[in-house]
Amino acid sequence: DEGSAHSSFIPNRPTLLLLKVTSYVPAPEQPELFLKKLQQCCTVFDFMDTLSDLKMKEYKRSTLNELVDYVTVSRGYLTEQAYPEVVKMVSHNIFRTLPPSDSNEFDPEEDEPTLEASWPHLQLVYEFFIRFLESQEFQPSIAKKYIDQKFVLQLLDLFDSEDPRERDYLKTVLHRIYGKFLGLRAFIRKQINNIFLRFVYETEHFNGVAELLEILGSIINGFALPLKAEHKQFLVKVLIPLHTVRSLSLFHAQLAYCIVQFLEKDPTLTEPVIRGLLKFWPKTCSQKEVMFLGELEEILDVIEPTQFVKIQEPLFKQISRCVSSPHFQVAERALYYWNNEYIMSLIEENSSVILPIMFASLYRISKEHWNPAIVALVYNVLKAFMEMNSTLFDELTATYKSDRQREKKKEKEREELWKKLEDLELKRGLRSDGIIPT
Amino acid sequence: MDAYKLMKELRVNYEQEVFYLPKETGLSLIESTTQDDSRISAKCRDAKVEDLWSLTSFFGYSTQTFVLAVNLLDRFLAMMRIQPKHLSCVSLSCLHMAAKVTEEECNLTPTDELIRIGQCRFTVSDLARMEKIVAEKLNFKSKAVTALTFLHLYHRIALSHSTDRKETLNLEKLEAQLKACLCRISFSKAKPSVLALSLLRQEIEAVQSEDMLEIAYHIQRHLKIADAELLLWSGRVAQCLSDYASPECSKPNHRKLQWIVSRRTAQNLHSYRSVPELPTIPEGGWDESESEDSCEDVMSSGEESLSSSLGSDAEGPFFPLHFRRQKHRQHLLHA
Repeated sequence: DEGSAHSSFIPNRPTLLLLKVTSYVPAPEQPELFLKKLQQCCTVFDFMDTLSDLKMKEYKRSTLNELVDYVTVSRGYLTEQAYPEVVKMVSHNIFRTLPPSDSNEFDPEEDEPTLEASWPHLQLVYEFFIRFLESQEFQPSIAKKYIDQKFVLQLLDLFDSEDPRERDYLKTVLHRIYGKFLGLRAFIRKQINNIFLRFVYETEHFNGVAELLEILGSIINGFALPLKAEHKQFLVKVLIPLHTVRSLSLFHAQLAYCIVQFLEKDPTLTEPVIRGLLKFWPKTCSQKEVMFLGELEEILDVIEPTQFVKIQEPLFKQISRCVSSPHFQVAERALYYWNNEYIMSLIEENSSVILPIMFASLYRISKEHWNPAIVALVYNVLKAFMEMNSTLFDELTATYKSDRQREKKKEKEREELWKKLEDLELKRGLRSDGIIPT
Repeated sequence: MDAYKLMKELRVNYEQEVFYLPKETGLSLIESTTQDDSRISAKCRDAKVEDLWSLTSFFGYSTQTFVLAVNLLDRFLAMMRIQPKHLSCVSLSCLHMAAKVTEEECNLTPTDELIRIGQCRFTVSDLARMEKIVAEKLNFKSKAVTALTFLHLYHRIALSHSTDRKETLNLEKLEAQLKACLCRISFSKAKPSVLALSLLRQEIEAVQSEDMLEIAYHIQRHLKIADAELLLWSGRVAQCLSDYASPECSKPNHRKLQWIVSRRTAQNLHSYRSVPELPTIPEGGWDESESEDSCEDVMSSGEESLSSSLGSDAEGPFFPLHFRRQKHRQHLLHA
């Protein structure tokens, strides 16, 4: 029941005005009381109207508190009848149509979220539900009749809530449900797929991406080996494209964690992952570029040398571009890779391939970059290369210098050619009738 | 310039080179010093010369500048006892002095930039003062006869004798090899003319040119360089160059370079490494069994179906989320 107080909630009905359960009611009567209180809490109050039903709201709040305590400390209270009542109470309270966001201009990165008005009750309902799920007496075999696919679907819809506190609770709830209900796992994974695909390809709006990714992280972490094809497809078709979304900064840490977990499980996925990232490399958003560079470093931290060799060429071509970026944070972040011992060891082993790719950009920006800090970092990188592979470095320096000289020569020749043309034009004009033709 | 004039110039330089040699006793003293905070050791000097090469390369200075700088440095170190903590200042002064007489003014890097890139701790005025001291002690005006002087001369001589032939020696390669040798203090003991000739012969042997070899002998006889001396230094040069070209890279054994990044970058450096709060959920082997898909496929057409296997209603043992992970993994060896 939504809206204002229900008539059965009349406080002067003495049987409903209950005292604290544990202290005043004998143990055998407690389970029944528990059910009654659950039913009472099915009534939902309107918190948008801040002045209505204050007494009733307070009563419900304290009842919910009792329920939380009861579930936490009691033994032998969970009868079969309790399960449907619990699920009903929780459903009544949390399942609702979320209000549309204030305006289309709500920017999750900038604006303050609209918090849920009924949080004083909502929070306790979530708290209660989690403890119920985690209770030692909880039996999934009974619960699965009531916590089913329909329930999960509605739960997933709630992840779009603007209130981060609610999403945080939902995250825990779904995590526990996924853990305990084996029969629901494939369904949950599929629904999350759908949410992400809609998010990436249709709406670019969903507030709960970070939370869902966090849950997925704990799932990926527990994957059995060898990885199932379904999971690999998920990585390539869903997780990689997630990188293209404009609001990436809101969930990038969780996304990067998922990616790295996948690669730790199955290193052969490294090549498609890195190629995917390179394909989607941000071209106009520097903040995103910095994020990508951070994620890439995380991946390189765990990469196997054999995998590294497979992707080093396209990888360092991109890094070479980043290092030359006029945006100093991008350049800085890319140059900082050379301070990573493991990456350095990989570069050293393959310096004959990598150095030629990086050389021209590094040398050029050492002369041309506007930012002195970048120039100093470039020195460090060039020095490292010099010590890594001196003979190759000498060759590249010589080639670079001769290329530059050739360019300068061409420039000079071009200028002279133009000058000659100008002179010719003048001479021609003067010869005919003294008037320079227009 | 014709061959005769070149040979004459060669003679002149040969007679002068002795004035630009670092004192042998001074060099030996450095070579025999073990790592110590009060004296310069060979390792110390070599590392510093490598730094000078890095800076030379970075600022686009010529090999001439580098060779001259090393010459000044070695002469000064062989003459004066200085503490290791002043070595940076001395070496940078030599580099700047060498650059001033060799490079065009527009290509000269200002001293504050030199100090910043070199990651040194002294000031611009410290550097200026040190330059004065070095110049005074060495009575340095603007030139010195170095191995590079001879290398250039030899190269021109070789060219003048073989203009109608295809084979020429790569001067840049020779310069790079000279640079490699100069990074070791032992080569500063060699006479520049002999060192340069050793390098020349090394390269001639590599390209296997009989004619060039003839020219090298000619030079040797002209300068009256003893066979034994040439052999000695040729051997050392060969050893040095093979080390230089070896695939094993050398890790820097001196101080680590400073990596200074902006505050914003530093803040975001390891933000991804946060440990997740949610405990791992081990994958079950039995919930992946094929069963009828009862829910709608929400994806638009064209997109491959991502998941064909849905969970069954199979009963599974209740999973306590804690501690069972390890044991459970052992049962899940295959899908």
